[in-house]
Amino acid sequence: MHLMFIFLTIFFHYVACLDYDGWMNIKVDHSLNCASEKYCKRGTITLKSIRAGTAIIDQIPFNRKHIKELQELAELDGFYTIRTLVSTAEGKEIEFLSSVKAKGLLENGLSDIISAWVLPSGEVIAVTFQVMNSTQTNALNLDSEYPINSDFYLRHVDQAPVPDTASYIQKLEREREAREKGELKDNRSFLAKYWMYIVPIAVFVMISGAGNPEGAAQPSR
Amino acid sequence: MCIYEDQIGKFDWRQTYVGRIKFAQFDTVSTAKKIIVATEENVLAALNLKTGQVMWRHVFESASSGDIQLLHFSDGDKVTTVTGSNPYLVRGWDPTTGVLLWEWPISIIDTERAHLSEWWVQNGMLVHLLPAFGSHLEVTMYNLMTGSNRGATSKLPTVWTNDGCILTPPYYTCISGNMGNYMLLSLDVTSNAVQIISKPLSNYFSEGEVIEGNLRPLDGKTSQPGFIIDDKAILLIKNNEFEPLNVRLADQSASATFIDAISGPMLVQAWSDENKGLSITAYNIATNTEITDMQMSGPKINIPEAELLGVLCINTAREQPAYRILLNGADDAVHLLQQGGRVVWSREESLANIVAAEFVDLPVSETDAALESEFDQKEAIKVYSSVWAAFVRRLHTQYQQLHTLIQNLQGEGAVLDTPSPLVRDYFNLHKIIVLITDVGKIYGMDNLSGEILWQRYDGNLNTESVVMFTRRSARHPPHDAYVTIIGKHEETGNGYVISLNPIRGTLVGERVLRLDVRLLQVALLHTVDAEKLHALILLDEDETVQVLPVSAAPLVRDLYMYVADRETGRMQGYALKYDGRQVIAQRTWSLNLGGAGARIVTIAGKSRTERVHSAGKPLADRSVLYKYSNPNLLLVVLERPDPTHKDVVTAVAVDAACGAVVAASTHRRARALPLAVHSDNCLAYLYRSDKHRRLEIATMELYEGNERWLPAGTQFSSFGCARAPSVERQAYIVPASLTALAFTSTEKAITDTHLLMGLSTGMLMELPWAYVDPRRPMTLSGEPREEGLIPYAPELPLPAEASLNYNRTVQRVRAIYAAPSGLESTSLVLATGLDLFYTRVAPSKTFDLLKDDFDYHLISIVLAALIVATYSTKYFASRKMLKQAWK
Repeated sequence: MHLMFIFLTIFFHYVACLDYDGWMNIKVDHSLNCASEKYCKRGTITLKSIRAGTAIIDQIPFNRKHIKELQELAELDGFYTIRTLVSTAEGKEIEFLSSVKAKGLLENGLSDIISAWVLPSGEVIAVTFQVMNSTQTNALNLDSEYPINSDFYLRHVDQAPVPDTASYIQKLEREREAREKGELKDNRSFLAKYWMYIVPIAVFVMISGAGNPEGAAQPSR
Repeated sequence: MCIYEDQIGKFDWRQTYVGRIKFAQFDTVSTAKKIIVATEENVLAALNLKTGQVMWRHVFESASSGDIQLLHFSDGDKVTTVTGSNPYLVRGWDPTTGVLLWEWPISIIDTERAHLSEWWVQNGMLVHLLPAFGSHLEVTMYNLMTGSNRGATSKLPTVWTNDGCILTPPYYTCISGNMGNYMLLSLDVTSNAVQIISKPLSNYFSEGEVIEGNLRPLDGKTSQPGFIIDDKAILLIKNNEFEPLNVRLADQSASATFIDAISGPMLVQAWSDENKGLSITAYNIATNTEITDMQMSGPKINIPEAELLGVLCINTAREQPAYRILLNGADDAVHLLQQGGRVVWSREESLANIVAAEFVDLPVSETDAALESEFDQKEAIKVYSSVWAAFVRRLHTQYQQLHTLIQNLQGEGAVLDTPSPLVRDYFNLHKIIVLITDVGKIYGMDNLSGEILWQRYDGNLNTESVVMFTRRSARHPPHDAYVTIIGKHEETGNGYVISLNPIRGTLVGERVLRLDVRLLQVALLHTVDAEKLHALILLDEDETVQVLPVSAAPLVRDLYMYVADRETGRMQGYALKYDGRQVIAQRTWSLNLGGAGARIVTIAGKSRTERVHSAGKPLADRSVLYKYSNPNLLLVVLERPDPTHKDVVTAVAVDAACGAVVAASTHRRARALPLAVHSDNCLAYLYRSDKHRRLEIATMELYEGNERWLPAGTQFSSFGCARAPSVERQAYIVPASLTALAFTSTEKAITDTHLLMGLSTGMLMELPWAYVDPRRPMTLSGEPREEGLIPYAPELPLPAEASLNYNRTVQRVRAIYAAPSGLESTSLVLATGLDLFYTRVAPSKTFDLLKDDFDYHLISIVLAALIVATYSTKYFASRKMLKQAWK
């Protein structure tokens, strides 16, 4: 039995949203091919630093028995259930449960997406397993071992925005300043400001005034 | 919003309530006879004696500081109340107008015993009694108007007191001693000389009777101090002596009071029996005779657990005095009865505590139903084998239509006062509102008039977390509409299911069902069975599933349920499936939202009737921003104490089918409010910011982006997409304190959605979503301007014009319910609280409706004139042509 390692590095914009850094260890159990217990080991996910978010995923590959059981589940459109036990530096072990459709997992060639949500205090609130809805089916080659491809994402519950009063006041002040500036600049005389409107009107009046005497003269005839 | 003055009361109504009555006093001296009442909802009000309407009302604080401890009113006096719980407020009110006359506070130094305080008014003095059981009584007297203390507190040594003692002003009465050797002790606490009346209790019971030694005072305002021992014997205190009455209590549960009638002192008793109904007896003490004209019994009036609030004896010109009996029921309804058992008026005070409401469609009229079935394609194939059959049917229906038309024309003049039949109107604006109240009384209310059509009281229904489902609407004749209420059994806490016809209030189907397990979650099956009924899926404590009716079990497919624990913040998801024999629930996910110590404040899901009309929003550059419309989405708002940031509010959007977190955000130094709404891709919730000491609303919108994830027309599946939507977030300041929040809802969701807010001031506000849109840009230029977004302003505008209820204040708004009508523009709104307010709103204006003041006459005159003009010009033109031809 050989182990597979996947190293994933995720860069975060919100590194600062975590109060304290710490380690995290996720034990992944599943309900496939377990002898007597309900859940047996599938693997572990270890994070040296939650802030860095680099995860070491260590999972036991599926064997034929696993696949057979999974296929049986898929026929019934059943669920493949995964239990995770998360332990961090400060808290006790927290249990999470998540399920994916067995059919979906098989169609995707045993690849799933694991996302863990972390509060700013470093506590984990959810570990969810999902499969992508991909149309290409990875044909399972008939080896004795089928490796599981898991992508791990650590997602942070970030701070919600607060009503942004400061920038709104700044904006109002900028607008006021702009208005004041505009008023200062524009202290030209009335004629200087509006000559472009006055001239055409004057021209129009002159033209119509020139035409008028003829019209006025008509009725006297 | 805004309406014209002449539209007041046209589409809206308000009903005012006071709550369950605690104390009642008759006022017969004033010109307008009334009853002054104090209620458990902390309301002081005056009710008209003749009609039962509220003449004036004061709503005090809903917290313990508004508790009414004493209501005192004697003829010709002022109304006095003592409210609060240490410090207490003594207030005087004018009985005719309800104006506050005086007010002074009392605070009791001994805070631990303050709740044992007893109050009463005697000779213009307010007496305060504070017992210390087994030791002494502290009696203090205050001037009623000024609060000045007459003397120091007097301490009366009473070692015989215990917590079973009662006060019948001014006597303090106890039963003391050991079992079988009880002594009855009583003391006038206001007299200067301490005189204890002491008698063995066995004096008042026949030999061999088991004496338990329970005391209870007489109900209502009694003219003589008196009490009841062991629900059997009635004793009065007269001239510092116990005086046993010859009559015993008529029934264990009977409520008794003692009044001074013209013919002499009188004992009135009232009790109700499940089979026999209400019984009232009166007994004249002076003559030792039953007063027959006040006696009544019979199942005519059914008041559960009737309790006498007061009896009034009015001297009329004729010899027979008139009596008015005020009765309170376990269903919080208050009734005023005349002698002979005629009900003068009733008030349904339980409506001040509504816990659930649902709008139910009315059935179509018989002729319409026939028409519908005729043109129903499937039905048509079944019934008509040939063209001739169809032709005969058509003729038959047309004959029926003609018949009803003639009937209508004939009947129009004759019967106008018959109530309009309960059939659907053209725009489906007429509905029935089914209301569930806190005490377990269910009402059917006409939404246009606010009239109660039917009512049903079930004392076994505990409405703590009651849910109501419309399992079949009235759209499927011949099947009737079907509503199911799922609550808890009052005593056992097990599931309790009531199924009824919402139109008539009669029990149907499963009727009343007592389950023998506690329920975790209830859901409605999305598919209907052969009878067009949505099955009810009940998940019980042991995670087993029950399907009602059982025959619908094979229909259970792809059903997911979630269970949230309010106290721990844990959520669990179940997948339900029919395995050939039964429905089994498999636990598929569990989350620990909010972390350790978190508490779920509220969960907002989508409304069952919700529809999504458009898949995206057009942007200024002619591209589309696609919405993330997940029908399984839930908004969970949690709160937990935090060592560094005081309290932290976490809001999480969870997919309830697969248990995936879609979006989440936290607020530091904030307290969550149980106000959250969710519709389509919009989420909003309220929290109180401790840092800024103000109320804020946080909004979120979820988008897929400029590209569609799934091709158009495909069904969304929670299990097929692991992609995270992009989340737009914003927060705004709410310049008011909110007590209720809801979205408007329309039939096809083409109309804008507005937020409806209930303010603590009693206003109902309508706010367009555009104002809380998280995409409001800081600076308005270019694209956002073209798209029609409003520039960002941190504070929400709440102009007075946005008020739905103009000057009709709705006290203590608790919830707002919105329902679609048949008109796309219009949404029906019911606000509940201490008062009820119903109106209709049109968020995008009434685009599909002519204006209310549309001038039909003008348009018909213009049309007629045009037609006349056309024909006359035609005539003149032909004449002219003829003349020209002759030339």
